[in-house]
Amino acid sequence: MVANRSFNLGRLFIYGCLLAFALFYLAPLYVMLTTSFKDIEEIRSGNLLALPQDPTLYAWIKAWSSACTGSECQGLAPFFMNSVKIVVPAVILSTVIGALNGYVLSKWRFRGSDLMFGMLLFGCFIPFQVILLPMARLLAELGLANTVTGLVLVHVIYGVAFTTLFFRNFYVSVPTELVKAAQLDGASFFQIFRHIFLPVSLPIFTVTIIWQFTQIWNDFLFGVVYSGPGTQPITVALNNLVNTSMGGKEYNVDMAAAVIAALPTLLVYIFAGKYFVRGLTAGAVKG
Amino acid sequence: MGSLLIDNVTKSFGETDILKGINIDIQDGEFLILVGPSGCGKSTLMNIIAGLEDATSGTLELAGKDVTLASPKDRDIAMVFQSYALYPTMNVARNISFGLEMRKVPKEERDRIVNEVAKLLQIDHLLDRKPSQLSGGQRQRVAMGRALARSPRVFLFDEPLSNLDAKLRVEMRTEIKKLHKRLGTTIVYVTHDQIEAMTLADRIAVMKDGIVQQLGTPDEIYNNPANMFVAGFMGSPPMNFIEVDIKEGQAVVESAGETHHLKLPCAEAIAAKGLDRVVLGIRPEMITEPKPAPEDQDWLHSMKLDFDVVEPMGADTMAIGQWNGIDVHSRLSPKAGMTAGAGTEVQVNTAKAVAFDIQTGERIC
Ligand SMILES: Nc1ncnc2c1ncn2[C@@H]1O[C@H](COP(=O)(O)OP(=O)(O)OP(=O)(O)O)[C@@H](O)[C@H]1O
Ligand SMILES: [Mg+2]
Repeated sequence: MVANRSFNLGRLFIYGCLLAFALFYLAPLYVMLTTSFKDIEEIRSGNLLALPQDPTLYAWIKAWSSACTGSECQGLAPFFMNSVKIVVPAVILSTVIGALNGYVLSKWRFRGSDLMFGMLLFGCFIPFQVILLPMARLLAELGLANTVTGLVLVHVIYGVAFTTLFFRNFYVSVPTELVKAAQLDGASFFQIFRHIFLPVSLPIFTVTIIWQFTQIWNDFLFGVVYSGPGTQPITVALNNLVNTSMGGKEYNVDMAAAVIAALPTLLVYIFAGKYFVRGLTAGAVKG
Repeated sequence: MGSLLIDNVTKSFGETDILKGINIDIQDGEFLILVGPSGCGKSTLMNIIAGLEDATSGTLELAGKDVTLASPKDRDIAMVFQSYALYPTMNVARNISFGLEMRKVPKEERDRIVNEVAKLLQIDHLLDRKPSQLSGGQRQRVAMGRALARSPRVFLFDEPLSNLDAKLRVEMRTEIKKLHKRLGTTIVYVTHDQIEAMTLADRIAVMKDGIVQQLGTPDEIYNNPANMFVAGFMGSPPMNFIEVDIKEGQAVVESAGETHHLKLPCAEAIAAKGLDRVVLGIRPEMITEPKPAPEDQDWLHSMKLDFDVVEPMGADTMAIGQWNGIDVHSRLSPKAGMTAGAGTEVQVNTAKAVAFDIQTGERIC
């Protein structure tokens, strides 16, 4: 009886803690959402934690289509599209390159391949700030400064270190004898990748794509440094929007803009998060 | 069609020499068995034959053509891996037909071959399953089927039966033998199982430390071993090795407190070398209960032996005694009703006894 009761108390304590942490983390999101649906009068006079008395989409519409980000006042919409134009090709390219790199570095070792992998790994630990200037130089030389292509290139280069690491560590667990058997069956380098490796790769593709998507979508530093006026990603635009004050500060518009900027990554986590966790642990369990 | 010439092949991984000059000439249609202790380089040699690893030096000829640098695909060799290496995401049918698909065999032809092979191996009811849904023996047969579907010039089998239970192993062994009879394809086969080696092989290559110690028919390997290693490797229990003095061409053996002089078939060779001490090699089945052996009349000796241990094994009884203070195994008939104890009367047949150099372990005669 005693053991049972202490067990229950322990449970209660754990759930209590979890609940407290969850509330703590959710509080800002709650404030953001409620504030974004209030009008400016209510924000000034009302309680920060209160629900909107008269919900309105005014702030959302303004943030999306007419809020000022610096001298222009077109809302976030064009920048959202910029981000999409950067993220989609960058994620696809870095993932595909990472998959092929991982395939080669795990199954087609060559002289110096371990050194190469070591150097790629090193790339994971280089802070963004270190490469800012040299990269700016390089982009200028290539004629890609302030372009979407340039930003895609930067994200692909920076991302390949991580994607290679993910795929390489995943493919190491695929038995090498499968490659040998397929070679004897007459399959070529790419046929082996396509018929033997791709079909087992769903978990690691999920992990890599989610990882890259969040990294690139949320990036601010590269975006602010390498973009031009017409190619800024949404994170930069959000920053500009919040810092541009014409007249009074419109907190509801700021909040709506922040939610819009965070929405894609949020949705990705909500819908694909469980595959992410599953993929991360997939290598650990055999079969 | 499928003759294979392995000419002075060596292989080193970094500083370590794994294969140190392998020479094997395999006839078309021959069944060659590779045996040797773990780590002696058997799988490495198989991989080199298949083209999955490059030899460090030496050449490889397939059907009279130099293939040392040819890619695995162009050698037309099929291999059954010890670990099966079935493609986990493909069902059994696709596993079997994958090699044909890669070689652009038309679909109808592929289906026909898959059905034929599956029927032969009795896995036709499993064609839709994934490898993970199969038992070990079934996976084994799928791995075989994948090799058979292609009718290659050479089959390589790397310990293909090692993961099976005893009964299935015997069954599969028979299947392989039948298959070889029917297809007549050259086979190179690695095994740790002596019975497999003795029953399947046309010739056996015994390897140790990256060197072929002896290459010969099962009979030659068993009865005419080139050195102590080969003699001790084949046969279970292995050949007895006893250091003996040689007096007037005969081996001096002390058993159960009495001294015996055993006549040896190779007295002259020992005398010619001027040796007075050698390692006598005698198989357990040559030390038996007294029984008639008309053709070996001249080579029979009877003596007393103190048996410390007697192990009935069904068909035979193994008994262990001592000569010159060293354990000797003898293989007795269970009918003789032997029990452990001192001074048991046994018969020693030295017609096939051999002698080895104490220093080098090489066979003297
Ligand atoms: N890629 C490699 N790099 C370094 N050493 C290797 C490599 N592959 C094999 N070896 C070494 O070569 C030796 C022979 O290996 P191999 O697999 O050919 O042995 P084997 O005769 O097949 O043994 P077993 O009967 O246990 O299968 C071993 O000592 C092994 O450690
Ligand atoms: Mg091996």
